[in-house]
Amino acid sequence: PIPVSSGQAFPLPSLPRKQPTVLVVCGPAQNGAIGLVCARHLRIFDYEPTIFYPKRSPDPLYRDFTTQCEKMDIPFLSYLPTEVQLINDAYNAVVDAVLGAEAEAGEGRGPCAAILATLKHIRIPIVSLDVPSGWDVEAGSSGGISPDVLVSLAAPKQCARRFLGRQHFVAGRFLPYDVQKKFELNPPEYPGTECVVALRAPR
Amino acid sequence: QEEAQAIDQELFTEYKFSVDQLMELAGLSCATAIAKAYPPSSFTTSQPAVLVVCGPGNNGGDGLVCARHLKMFGYEPTVYYPKRPNKPLFEGLTTQCQKMGIPFLPEFPAEAALIDELYGLVVDAIFGFSFKGAVREPFGTILGTLERITVPIASIDVPSGWDVEKGKADGLQPDMLISLTAPKKAATHFAGRYHFLGGRFVPAALQEKYALNLPAYPETDCVLQLT
Repeated sequence: PIPVSSGQAFPLPSLPRKQPTVLVVCGPAQNGAIGLVCARHLRIFDYEPTIFYPKRSPDPLYRDFTTQCEKMDIPFLSYLPTEVQLINDAYNAVVDAVLGAEAEAGEGRGPCAAILATLKHIRIPIVSLDVPSGWDVEAGSSGGISPDVLVSLAAPKQCARRFLGRQHFVAGRFLPYDVQKKFELNPPEYPGTECVVALRAPR
Repeated sequence: QEEAQAIDQELFTEYKFSVDQLMELAGLSCATAIAKAYPPSSFTTSQPAVLVVCGPGNNGGDGLVCARHLKMFGYEPTVYYPKRPNKPLFEGLTTQCQKMGIPFLPEFPAEAALIDELYGLVVDAIFGFSFKGAVREPFGTILGTLERITVPIASIDVPSGWDVEKGKADGLQPDMLISLTAPKKAATHFAGRYHFLGGRFVPAALQEKYALNLPAYPETDCVLQLT
């Protein structure tokens, strides 16, 4: 669902750079693993993803995701340039798969802090997976990153109310009905066979 | 047939894909293709009822995933799954279907006419590209009944009972074929209305290595209509 919504938000012909390059920044846990899967699908969709995955999870499933990406010739950066202009120039968009809903509030200040500090200053659009990294999952964030696109997984988190970007997608079509009812999710109708649905943008 | 098996092997051993991952993508492709060719509004039965017949192997697993996605897409699938492998993958897929309220028939409808009355479409997820040799029961009888129904059949990857390369002139005649990864040789004998390609996960390097010459999928779609 995430690569589909990334694809929908930035259809290939509309990208400003000649090459459809996308930087996918992956954190150490599940959100990062979803980023790896996203990168692989972006590659299948003919984008040119590059991954920055500094802290790799030891989880065997996530290690396999890494192998799949490597075997698909997706490059892995060894460091993230601190010069934001380099990122702005090289890529059309950044997928933020650093921290998800399960992240502790303090993680935004730990090892991921440097990454988030860089991302705060880039000019190209950011697509955040589930929760804009560094935001408090309920309260949102002041002074954190400002994504252009948010893809909520399963259902929007509370902080999504503070999302001010252009497009908000929900990727939750896989949730069984009894789970939806139990948590009173009231998801919108998904069009046709789409696995993501765009919610009305806040502005 | 060997090429298809070789590609699968590489995906699992070199690329480290799990069977779960590819089966999920395959099953989703099947449901998507079905939704494009037979939208729920096109059914003449009062509900868009679909019978999904699942065989004893991976093709059956694809069918289980397909059934679950069909439910998500607004269909009313029913599954017949007589021979279930004792493996967590298949047990998990079965549970997922059951928890979504998808009924599992205790018996296969005895008469073709009964199937025609109750369902608007049958998904054939019995045998796939690894099929060799004789058809074991209960599938022989099932295929016999399916050969007499008039509602359309959508076959996953290979029409069940067909020789994977040569086809079977007096066998099942499905209306739709969803070829997974790449069409198998038997697809040249397919005479139905809809031929879709699904399983959009083959890396470019593998496509080249096996000279698959696949046409391009549209945008972010997981299926491509070939005919």
